[in-house]
Amino acid sequence: MPVTVGGPYGQSQPGCFDKIKMGFMMGCTVGMAAGALFGTFSCLRVGMRGRELISGIGKTMMQSGGTFGTFMAIGMGIRC
Amino acid sequence: MEEYTREPCPWRIVDDCGGAFTMGIIGGGIFQAIKGFRNSPQGMKHRMKGSLISIRTRAPQLGGSFAVWGGLFSMIDCSLVKVRGKEDPWNSITSGAMTGAILAARNGPVAMVGSAAMGGILLALIEGAGILLTRFASSQFVNGPPIPDDASQLTQASPFGSYQQYQ
Repeated sequence: MPVTVGGPYGQSQPGCFDKIKMGFMMGCTVGMAAGALFGTFSCLRVGMRGRELISGIGKTMMQSGGTFGTFMAIGMGIRC
Repeated sequence: MEEYTREPCPWRIVDDCGGAFTMGIIGGGIFQAIKGFRNSPQGMKHRMKGSLISIRTRAPQLGGSFAVWGGLFSMIDCSLVKVRGKEDPWNSITSGAMTGAILAARNGPVAMVGSAAMGGILLALIEGAGILLTRFASSQFVNGPPIPDDASQLTQASPFGSYQQYQ
């Protein structure tokens, strides 16, 4: 992986941990959005309505956000 | 998945395949360890053994399916780059959808469409997040003061006259 050296511009290179954190945040965002989309469909399909539907979607969002975030963080971690 | 630094095209397939396999192995190891620990009978010995067995059986499977996804994805991505002659987010969205469709091909056309939609939406989300992130990061990481242009070169008359285009 070609590393951009700070050079004369004095740009601080984001460290490994920063990259992993960034990956987790990005994965979390993507996972939450995907969970909101797919969770809505799957919760509606099993017949949830009203308050139950909201909590079901929230649960799916949290779950997929965590999973995606973990995987993205690992993906960032193995490349630095 | 990372659009910051990517390998040039033919080698990207190998890179993505191996990266996806490693990602699947490590992530699958973490999740299966927890799952095996919780699903085992009481007692620390049983729980440790259960989580170990679970990792051994399931993590390589997950890594393999990740690797298949990653390898096929970047193969289609590289083909699209070659065919279309440009690299943009639509490439990876299309190849995500096609990967989903191809991998679900044995389950019939309905499953293919569903899987393709899922892959396409997922890759679109990832690409969108990447674009947002690079836009955000470029304003976040403050660069040092730019190198001032050397003004002495500007006043020097060019030997070829003016470079301006008259139209």
